[in-house]
Order: sequence, then C-alpha cells, then structure tokens
Amino acid sequence: MNSQNKSGLTLASPWLITLLLFWLFPLGYSLVLSFTDSHLLARETSWIGWQNYSTLLNDPAFLQALKNTFIFTVGTIPVTQVVAIGLALLISANFRGRSFFRSAFFVPSVTSMVVVALVFTNLYGRGGYVLALAQLAGLNPPENGFLLDSSTALYSIMAMDIWMASGYYMLLALAGLKSIPDELYEAAEINGAGRWRQFVSITLPLLRPIILFSLVINGIKSLQVFVEIFVMTKGKYATSTGVYDVYTRGLERFAFGEASAAAYILFLIIAMFSALQFWLMRKRKVAL
Amino acid sequence: MGYQRNKSGVSVWRYATLSLLTVVMIGPLIWMLRVALAPIGSELSVSALTSAEFSFDAFTNLFSAGGIQRPALNSLAVGLIVTAGNVLFCFMSGYALARKSFLGRKVLFILTLLILMVPAHILIVPLFLLLTKLGMFDSYWALILPFLVTPIGIFMVKQYVETIPVSLEEAARLDGASEWRTLFSVVAPVCKPILAVLAIQTFLVNWNSFLFPFILTNSTDLRTLPVALALMQGHQAIDWQHLMAGSTVAVIPALVVFLIFQKRIVSGITAGAIKQ
Repeated sequence: MNSQNKSGLTLASPWLITLLLFWLFPLGYSLVLSFTDSHLLARETSWIGWQNYSTLLNDPAFLQALKNTFIFTVGTIPVTQVVAIGLALLISANFRGRSFFRSAFFVPSVTSMVVVALVFTNLYGRGGYVLALAQLAGLNPPENGFLLDSSTALYSIMAMDIWMASGYYMLLALAGLKSIPDELYEAAEINGAGRWRQFVSITLPLLRPIILFSLVINGIKSLQVFVEIFVMTKGKYATSTGVYDVYTRGLERFAFGEASAAAYILFLIIAMFSALQFWLMRKRKVAL
Repeated sequence: MGYQRNKSGVSVWRYATLSLLTVVMIGPLIWMLRVALAPIGSELSVSALTSAEFSFDAFTNLFSAGGIQRPALNSLAVGLIVTAGNVLFCFMSGYALARKSFLGRKVLFILTLLILMVPAHILIVPLFLLLTKLGMFDSYWALILPFLVTPIGIFMVKQYVETIPVSLEEAARLDGASEWRTLFSVVAPVCKPILAVLAIQTFLVNWNSFLFPFILTNSTDLRTLPVALALMQGHQAIDWQHLMAGSTVAVIPALVVFLIFQKRIVSGITAGAIKQ
C-alpha cells in the first residue's frame, strides 16, 4: 500500500502540479478578483462585494454581448446538427468515392479558425465570391460586404461556423448510423414502412444519444466563441460576444476584477446549459 | 431501404449533390490558394481571378521578408514539445489513476473530470496575471508549461488502460521487472493506439490554437503562426495576397497530418462519442 501510494503519487505528479498551479489556483484567484476592483493602474485593490456583478448586469455592452452569444449558440447548433445528419445520411451507404467525400467535408474542421476567419473575411467582402454570388442572386447585400454592416455581420459569422463545424458532427452522426442494426430497417421494410417513416421511427430515436452529445459539445464551444470575432470584426457591428467582452475588459482595458466577474457569469451560464443537457440525457436513460 | 445497405445503384443525383457540397466545403480553401497564387497587384475579384495568371510571388515575398519562418518554427517547436509532454505525462497520470490506489486518487479523478468541463475562457485573466507574476509572460514557457498535460488526455489513457488485463503487468513484476520498466516496456507498447490518437489530436489542436498563445505573449518573436496571421492584417488596407499565402502555409501541415492519419483521427473522434 505504501509503495502503491508513493509510485501512484509520483506518476500523477505532473498532472497534480499542473492541476493545482494552472487550473485550481487561477480559478480561485479569478473568483476572488471578481469581488474586487483590481485594475492594472490601481495602486491598491479593495473588496467591493457584488459590485462588479451588478455593474455588468446593468452594462448595455455586456448584455448585448450575452445576447449575441445566445443568438450565436441558438442559431448555429441546430442548423449544424441538421446539416451534419444530412451529410452523414448522404454518405452512409457504401459507394465508390464515399471516403473522398467524407474527407472533403471534414477538411474545414482541421483548418485553423484564424485561417478560416481570414478567408471568410475576404469572401464576405468586396471581391469575395460570397458577396458576388449574393449580388448575382439579386439579394441586394450590403455594399461594403457582409461584415461591415450590423444587420448581417453576426449572421455571416454564424454561417461560417456552421460551414466549419458540420463535418466534425457529421463524423459523429456517421458513427451513430453505423451502430444501428440493419435488421431494424429490414423489419420496417417488411412492415411496409417508407423511407421517411423509417427515418423518423428508427434512425432519429436511435441517433438521440449522439445528437445530444453533439449538442452539448457544440453548445459549450459556441458559448465561448471568440477567435472569429477577434479576427473578423473586433466586436464591432453588433458582434461582441461573452468571451470577447471578457478579453477586452481584462486584457485591453485591464479591469481585472470586472473581467473576472464577466467570466464567472459566463461560466455560470455554460454550467447551467451543460447541466440542462446532462439532465436531458439522464432522463432518456431512465425512460429506456 | 436501409441507409447503409444501398450498396449499388447510387444515383447520379447523389453524386451531383455530393459534388456540389464538396465545392461548398472546399471552395473557400481553393479561393485562399487562388488569391495567394495570383500575380502581385492583380485585381482580386471573381472575374479577374478566373483569367489571371498563376505566380508564386506572394510566397517568395513572404519568405524573403522573413516574417513567416519564425512563426512557423515557433508553431512547430511548441506543437512538438507540447505533444511529447502530453503523451508522456498523460500516460503516466492516466495509468496511475487507472491502476494505483494512492491517497486522494478518487478526489484527483473527480477533479480531472470537473476540469474537463470547465470552459477555458475563465483562465484568460488569471492565467495572464499568474504567468506575469511568475515572470513567464511573453516567453516560451508561457506557450508550453500550462499545456504539457491535459485532462482530456489523462481521461483517454485512463479509460484505455482499464481495458488492458492486469495479468500483463503482474507477469512482468513476477519476472522481476521494476515499476518503471513495467510501465514503459510492457504497458506503454500496449497503449500505442491511444497514445497515437492523443499525439495527433494534441498536435493539431496546438498547431491551430490562437487564444492562449495570443494573450500570453507580446513580442513578435514569440508569435505562433495563427497569432502572426491574425495580427498581420493592417487596419486600413489588407494585403490579401500575402495574408492568403501565409494562411496556406498554416493550412498545409494540418492537412498533411490529417490525410496521413485520417483513420486514427476519425476513430479517435467516434470512439469518444460512442462511449460517451
């Protein structure tokens, strides 16, 4: 037991140190900071209770950022999921060229977000083919491109994210489709169920765990959207998001206390979101 | 008809749809390459680019100006070191959590699971302050040290080790092999598949990562490729051709890694999802 103790702790020590130093300490430190007026330029820091939190919840910029984060998350994850399942259904059969298409759809997922954001900044602007296509379709897009207009900027970034993420969730959906036994479809066919009926009563219910899993991961990721905002709009044109707000408050204006409070509010929202999702998953298991 | 059983007779329509989708999914990257390969000074519009000539000017300029080599090397070095660290340390810690009954093991495992769910954005301010106080802000340490071992890697290894029969290690021990010897010459080889998945994932994530390399460094010399690219765009006129050439340099290694290790990447992603 003693030697187990020693060797176990020795083996786990790199993680133990990292966990304490780079995770738990910063988490606690930030929580404390969120109740202070800590600022780079302040000579001394004092305890101010919940003031940062109430300031933030009355700050239109912060509320706008939360609202944008909400629009972004609620707007992208269902669409990404539908696209992902659609793509998976299209290539789930064994046919020539299947793996080529699968790879092609996944390529955006291995590309750096910075690169994707840069390329789409070009595509959405003057000269880019997305703007050109929109003009061709007679859609009357904003003259200076989609990103320099408050009515289109956020939605354009959302569309890009759907494009980028759907290949990844397609892979998950494909794995789910593979796990559905063929016999179920055969039995359904014998009973005269059509394709749509089979999809609704076999495929969708059996994909549910995978779909929920995808929604959780994608939700947590979407609630933290930052890189694309930084690269494409710097939060202008009504595109600021929660994490972008934390970044500007903390590392551009150096209001460490306020930024920490903002981060914790967002953390709470993300935690509630994941709890809700886990609760939904649990409920399903009980029902089974 | 089952969706998986339709082995033959895939219709022309399906190929047409899939080809169109491929254009949509790959199009932006082709556009990136086309802009990068246009002669310097050409007009960058759809009509102009379809008839423009091809030229490597943007790439040659980029490399002779020297702005891209350093970030590329930084990304490569940091990526390799962090990957090696994760393979070694996640293996050690994951194994300890799976097999050793040390004091606080349960607490450590629960904390690891909890940290797995903590969104990283919460670290932006405190990690910046901590590394500043430790004197590591704006150094290679800041790019490497906090990321050398990750909860996701530990979780992957722990789950995997638990599927290996204990008898393997017991036999080695009976043969008189030391603790470390057993670990590295008996357990490690068996764990190769999961360690390979971990290595590939870690490298790709690091190669593409922006947030922490960006906030934890300041000097031009320490920029990784994504940071250098994001900060390359000027505020007034954007130099698209060099920017797209630089982007191409950032995309190609990730694409090569993906194409070589496709099977492992796909199995890594789907295995995690099926197990949940």
